[in-house]
Amino acid sequence: MKISLGWLKEFVEVPAEPRELRRDLTMLGLNVESISAARDGWVLDVEVTTNRPDCLSHYGVAREAATFYRRALKPLEFPVKESAEPASSEIAIEIADPDLCGRYCGRVVQNVEVKPSPEWLQKRLEAVGQRPINNVADVTNYVLMELGHPLHAFDLSRLRQRKIIVRRAKTGEHLRTRDDVDRALGSENLVIADAQRAVALAGVMGGEDSEISSSTRAVLLESAWFEPVSIRRTAKAQGMHTEASHRFERGADIQMAPVALDRAATLIAELAGGEILRGMVDVYPRRELHEPLLLRRSIILRVLGAEISWEEVERILRGLGFETERRGTEGWRVTPASFRLDVTREVDLVEEVARHYGYDKLPTRLRSAPPRVEKDLVREKELAISARLVALGYREIIPSSMVDPAENARFTDRPPVVLANPLSQEASALRSSPIPSMLRALRWNLDRGQNDVRLFEVGKTYSPRAEGLADERRVLTLGLTGHRKPVAVYEGEKEKVVGIFDFKGDIETLLEAFEIPGLRFEPEGCRYFDSAQGGRLVAAAGTFAVFGRLDAATMDYYKLRQDVWLADVDLDLLLKTSLRTFTFREFSRFPAVERDFSLLVPEGRSYHEIEGAVRGLGLETLQSLSPGDVFRGGAIAAGHYSLLLRVVFQSPTHTLTSEEVAGMSQQVLGALERLGIRLRT
Amino acid sequence: MTLEEKVGKTLAELGVSDAPAVEALFAEVRAAMDAERQELTSRGAADDRERDKLCKELRDRWLARKNGLMSLIDDNWLKKAVKELKPVVGRQFNDLRKASALMQVEELIRAIDSLRGRAAATSSAAGTLTDDLTLAGHARTTSTATGTLTDDLTVPGYRRPLGSIHPVTRVLREIEEIFLGLGFRIETGPEVESVYYNFDALNIPETHPSRDDWDTLYVDSKTLLRAHTSPVQIRAMEKYGAPLYIIVPGKVYRHDNPDASHSPMFHQIEGLAVDRDITFADLKGTLDFFAKKFFGEKVRTRFSPSFFPFTEPSGEVSISCVICDGQGCRTCKESGWVEVMGCGMVHPEVLRHGGIDPEQFTGWAFGLGVDRYAMMKYGINDIQLFFQSDVRFLEQF
Repeated sequence: MKISLGWLKEFVEVPAEPRELRRDLTMLGLNVESISAARDGWVLDVEVTTNRPDCLSHYGVAREAATFYRRALKPLEFPVKESAEPASSEIAIEIADPDLCGRYCGRVVQNVEVKPSPEWLQKRLEAVGQRPINNVADVTNYVLMELGHPLHAFDLSRLRQRKIIVRRAKTGEHLRTRDDVDRALGSENLVIADAQRAVALAGVMGGEDSEISSSTRAVLLESAWFEPVSIRRTAKAQGMHTEASHRFERGADIQMAPVALDRAATLIAELAGGEILRGMVDVYPRRELHEPLLLRRSIILRVLGAEISWEEVERILRGLGFETERRGTEGWRVTPASFRLDVTREVDLVEEVARHYGYDKLPTRLRSAPPRVEKDLVREKELAISARLVALGYREIIPSSMVDPAENARFTDRPPVVLANPLSQEASALRSSPIPSMLRALRWNLDRGQNDVRLFEVGKTYSPRAEGLADERRVLTLGLTGHRKPVAVYEGEKEKVVGIFDFKGDIETLLEAFEIPGLRFEPEGCRYFDSAQGGRLVAAAGTFAVFGRLDAATMDYYKLRQDVWLADVDLDLLLKTSLRTFTFREFSRFPAVERDFSLLVPEGRSYHEIEGAVRGLGLETLQSLSPGDVFRGGAIAAGHYSLLLRVVFQSPTHTLTSEEVAGMSQQVLGALERLGIRLRT
Repeated sequence: MTLEEKVGKTLAELGVSDAPAVEALFAEVRAAMDAERQELTSRGAADDRERDKLCKELRDRWLARKNGLMSLIDDNWLKKAVKELKPVVGRQFNDLRKASALMQVEELIRAIDSLRGRAAATSSAAGTLTDDLTLAGHARTTSTATGTLTDDLTVPGYRRPLGSIHPVTRVLREIEEIFLGLGFRIETGPEVESVYYNFDALNIPETHPSRDDWDTLYVDSKTLLRAHTSPVQIRAMEKYGAPLYIIVPGKVYRHDNPDASHSPMFHQIEGLAVDRDITFADLKGTLDFFAKKFFGEKVRTRFSPSFFPFTEPSGEVSISCVICDGQGCRTCKESGWVEVMGCGMVHPEVLRHGGIDPEQFTGWAFGLGVDRYAMMKYGINDIQLFFQSDVRFLEQF
């Protein structure tokens, strides 16, 4: 809402510079976005919250300023010079649906001359962002900006039988509105009709046919009060938003209707040279009184933490148009003003007091929440996960959860959560797989010359459930492409592209932060991974991670030209798993003995089996077991491969003798023999 | 005498009769072995096939069980050595045998390949490194066989590539830590939310224009993507009752077209404190403390009235502009203040919807946009950067 300083000052003395006024209004909850200079002087752009339609006018803002600066607010008195002829002879008004229209006031002005408004009025309207049209229309806009009450001017001659009926539209009824749109109406829309047809969409916009034109001689001025919810529904359904609907849907002042009407009528008579017919036609079926509210002093203290004097509370509330009456020592009976439909509870009055008392003057207190013992285990785990991933070189990303459902479907059969009003097809569903987001992130970087990329995302997937809200699962996604490490000139090392073991090692290192007994690899990957280059890590609790190299078809789809590795980690499962705890184990003071076995292994025997066989021996002194070289071809017999297995023995109690080591080596070889593995000779 | 001829004879025949002579002889063999290996690896091969063939030939020359050089040395020098020379010959032979492991085919292939790689790496790096050194005034690059390129220690050290935490997460964690320190707990809720929790329970009826303040993405008439983290206020009240001290971090969604300051997905943190004697003073004190912790001790806070349907009284917290220290500049639109969050005393209706008696308990709440905080903190001018996953952006944090 644009407020002209000069106009404001017609209603209240403002003992402040524009900059100070800006600050003071902001501190009252009328946030001033900016101050600018217009032809008519300073203009303040005031942000009016949806609960304060009363401040969508100069008079409303003046009331706030008057209360704040402790100045008088100029009363609204508009004496009307009427002609002898009664208005009721020219117009008959009927409200057929009083539930939607609480009041309808009309005045008739005759013998007007429609022409451009005078300079001063045009300047004012321009200053507050309104385009001048003609003197009659401009007056209605002027009064709207001044008093906040929407008015409408009809060309009286266009109203059949000089009749106004406020009624619901009939099914199939049409109205061409002033914006030149033919609108199909229904019974949920309230219209202003003449004897035959709708002439205006009540509280939203007038019809084209009855609009004021240069040939208009007689004007019917409407000043009404419409039910906010109905106006809101109609405007929404018609996709319209006007100055009038903006105010009516927030709640106009039913008692301002006749005042604004008199103001407009006198101005039109003054500017367009007409005569105002005698009397106002005022149909007012709903005379609802505002329920008085009880305001307890104890509540003010309880909510604001401050004692505010009786006199200060009364000064504030009265200044804002409320009636107050003391109730013993308890507090007040307060009758809210008709323009404050937002004030319906005791606590609303507390806010009014606080606003004008000043939030900055209210006391301040810092206390902690009561202490509690439980630890935030989820957060602890999340921090452990991201710390490991950062150490492994992965960068966290936060991609959009919204995807194209077709792309999403490439990766999962779980349906995504489809939006009813999406921004675009590419963002029309909440993903049920995290893979497309990660692939897009990798591609974004590859397309920009970043070829070594490691990313992770801690996010969610979403899928509808038959009943209740969506199934939201927490997921951790890893994406990897490029080289093991950057080219190091220092070592002159050959750049090496990452492979399955680099990636598997990263995931193993990650999972190592948790206590997962029996974690094992299974070669079954999933549909978008190369079957030979992926798999899953599983334990009794479930599948912790599915990972692998993206298959050729998906690479083509994303136009990727280098290998991409992805892992989908079940974060819900991981967060249910305990973090690894640490217990110190004493290490042996005696020397370790290393034995390398150069083995001939039949193809198809996995390292997992070999390790299982050796560990299965239960050798107490077996310290570690690790694979060394793997070699195929050359002198190696067909159908076999050569494996260098390094075994370390160490006893906690003594130095191992060569006999003991030889004995254990024999046991190891014996166990391996049962797998068809023998020493290379 | 060639090596082949020498190994065909015994030590006596070669006139080697004392320890120094034995050592000299073995040193000669060792030198020959190294030279042949060097010759092969540096010469390289046209292709892998030729490489494998050359490696095998060299391996056989040295290690073949029958008539390999090593086996001949064993037979003719060691086995036939006189008793007094045996220990020294044995030691020397053992050393030589260890060294001869490098003549295995796998080892030779590895040596050839790594040398090839090194050549590629050094030639590609040499340009930039040399340039840099020239500028620094020490053109002393030394390229040795081990690949040490420089003895200029002003060359930057080798950095292991670390990952990074997203700036929004950084800010989220920082805010969380401040409130965790005050004894609040972290609570979360669903992103696909019911209209009831997102609006109705928060006192935002469908019939009131205030609902338009949230441009909402809907799933159907009863379900939407939460437009703020406030629904978790109600969920937490229902779950835990009062007293309650929580913060709620999370993603929220709006029907906003993406631009430099809007994103259809962004992050909020909600805070809620409900207890028996909570007043506006607690709200002011806690949020002032928070603002000073997050934005800096010198920051001043200002509380001004505002409107949110779920709080009454409602407020807006501004901090003194950190750019101009409250003097007025472009960042603060000449006002000296920058709005940083919405807040207020929990509306009695909202408490009631959460199953808490407003005559017994009062509460305060706040909500802030995490992405905007990250933009302010790190000087980021485009919110889209957060969601693009561009490494050039991420690596700065």
